[in-house]
Amino acid sequence: MKRYFILLIIVRFSLQLSAQEWVVAPADAALKSPFAFTDSTRKAGEAIYVANCKSCHGDPGKNNAIQLVPIPPDAASVKMQANTDGAMHYKLIQGRGPMPSFKNTLSSTDLWRVISFMRGYNPKYVQEVALPTIAGAAAQNVSIKLDWNKASGQVEASLTSLKGQVSQPVAGAEVKLFAKRYFGNLPVDEARKSDAAGKVAFNFPKDLPGDSIGNVQLIVKLTDEVAYGEASAEATLAVGVPTNRPALTAPRAMWGVLAKAPIWLIFAYLLAVLTAWGFIAYVISQIKAIYRAGSKEQL
Amino acid sequence: MASEVNTDFLQDKKLDSIAADILRPVGITQGFVVWMGFLGISLMGCIYAYSIQWDKGLIVTGLRDYTSWGMYIANFVFFVATSLVGMLISSILGLIGFKWVKPIARIAEIIAVAFAAVAGLVIIIDMGHPERLGNVFLYGRIQSPIVWDVTVVITYLTISILLYFLPLIPDLAISKGRMNHTPKWLQNLYEVMSVKWQHTPEQYRLLMKAIRILLILIIPTAFAIHTVTSWLFAVTLRPGWDSTIFGPYFLTGAFVAGSAAVVIVMYFVRSNYKLDKYLTNHHFDMMGKLLVLVSIVYLYFNINEYLVPAYKMKTAEAIHLHDLFVGEYAVMFWSVQLLGLVLPIILLLFSFFRKPFSMLIISIVVLVAAWFKRFLIVVPTQDHPFLPKQYVPQAWMVYQPTVIETAITVGTLLLVLIIITILVKFFPVIPIWEMAEEQHELDHKSQK
Repeated sequence: MKRYFILLIIVRFSLQLSAQEWVVAPADAALKSPFAFTDSTRKAGEAIYVANCKSCHGDPGKNNAIQLVPIPPDAASVKMQANTDGAMHYKLIQGRGPMPSFKNTLSSTDLWRVISFMRGYNPKYVQEVALPTIAGAAAQNVSIKLDWNKASGQVEASLTSLKGQVSQPVAGAEVKLFAKRYFGNLPVDEARKSDAAGKVAFNFPKDLPGDSIGNVQLIVKLTDEVAYGEASAEATLAVGVPTNRPALTAPRAMWGVLAKAPIWLIFAYLLAVLTAWGFIAYVISQIKAIYRAGSKEQL
Repeated sequence: MASEVNTDFLQDKKLDSIAADILRPVGITQGFVVWMGFLGISLMGCIYAYSIQWDKGLIVTGLRDYTSWGMYIANFVFFVATSLVGMLISSILGLIGFKWVKPIARIAEIIAVAFAAVAGLVIIIDMGHPERLGNVFLYGRIQSPIVWDVTVVITYLTISILLYFLPLIPDLAISKGRMNHTPKWLQNLYEVMSVKWQHTPEQYRLLMKAIRILLILIIPTAFAIHTVTSWLFAVTLRPGWDSTIFGPYFLTGAFVAGSAAVVIVMYFVRSNYKLDKYLTNHHFDMMGKLLVLVSIVYLYFNINEYLVPAYKMKTAEAIHLHDLFVGEYAVMFWSVQLLGLVLPIILLLFSFFRKPFSMLIISIVVLVAAWFKRFLIVVPTQDHPFLPKQYVPQAWMVYQPTVIETAITVGTLLLVLIIITILVKFFPVIPIWEMAEEQHELDHKSQK
């Protein structure tokens, strides 16, 4: 048993040493985009790239990445393009070192759009699209409705899909709930599966700060984008604790703008400056007086 | 300075000989042309270096994200420090009533004006976009010590210029008619600058009152300028800067640097202008004693500043102190402390070393050490930010001043020398009327 642990530790450290190369498991690397890359996906991907990636990786093909160690590879570079679509997708989700994880901030579809944009810089690239699954064919046009059940303290989502003219509940689909915060989306509760009626109930914390009337912006997403497409919904519900703190920049303070400077500081500063320059002005007036006295003497 | 001036000295024949002695070197001489030519050509090279920085930005310096204050800011602190001596000599010692400071006071004011004027320029050089200077005045927040610093540097410079100019007025009037060996434009300049001075008792009364106001006003201003400069560092939490004694620590250090600068200028004025009669061995002896006094006070603050944190060795402070005591900066640190502070104190305790030439050598060492001391205060702290330095190129990790940066810094020193040279060469460097008045009183007493 002890030997087994030592072996485990050695393996662990050798993995760390080889971590220079970012190894992606074959299953992850084999993942393919559920949709074909077109001009419209590239265009959507560019907007996401500019907002989330450009600040470090620079413009693709221009080698103007920020000078970090290691230098973030250019999106058009051989090194970057050597990744399979699945490997790129995996790395965007996981992140490593200074490269952040986009797991909770961008949807899987958005990540594929970014990959679509980056592939636009590789003329040799030929896309392989994932085969559509049976589930995907079965349940499209999923719509989600979010509600706040005050009695149980739960956020409830109901999933329906449109089949012809008839709306049907979506059963057995995995759903995740997020609350929108200043920086990224905060996962709330665990991923849950919808029941036969297409309902999902998330336990919601009682102490999440909301706005002045307790509103929190919620996002709910279906995790299996291959099967259901990119289905998500946003709703603003009064599930948080009403928080009505004045902004830190509202009162007079040392960190405020000039107009919000503390009174005592304005007073002290002006007193010192006016005193000093008052005396300086007086001394200069004395030089004038000396001049006048001299002029009189000359006459 | 007495507020009542006995103008009898104007009739005294001694005034003629004193004026002749002091005015003899005034004007354009061959030595002056050669010296200014040397300074001017050297400055051209430095201005070229600055033109590169203007064009390309601060990337041509060694300054990066971690060490964003380097040689320029160290130089700025050094200049502000050295300029404070004007206040110490003319104001504190003069108001107490030490008579020996009279012939030195103007030299001290010249140093104050030159260093304070260029200190402001150094700050502008440290800006990547100097053309945005106006934004400091448009959008500056009075909560920021930087704005206080700008305010107080301008105020101190103005008071120093006035304190140089006002006691000069009677001398300018005395010099009229005794300046035939100088260019016409200089005589005209004297005429304008002497503001119709007629040596009337009324004019002396007005002048002495104005000077007295300035002498008192400059004390809090000088304290403010260097305390605020120290606050630029001390208001942050960083190891090496996070100190409550930074104000007095900077102030006492300033007097050491300034006194050394005065001795150096005194020496060259005395030997080049043959003014041994006015800048006597006694003056060097007294300046030596002053330098010992201010150095001992500064040593005391140094012991406080390093011993107290070193006794506690808080994690962040310990890294910083280790760097200074035995690490990367150890050679510079111990050279500055031992050669620039401890050794001068020991040597200057003996009257043998308070002779002009040995004073010159000691003062040069002290002044150079004072510059490196500012470097040690500004730079090493930034090597160890609280958050780890990572994912950046190796060149960002350590601060290494570049040739361009060094040339620009040398240029600011040249500019100081040029200002000092012009003031020393075109105007009487020793107060003629105060010397004549003192001499007259002495003769009068001995006659009685």
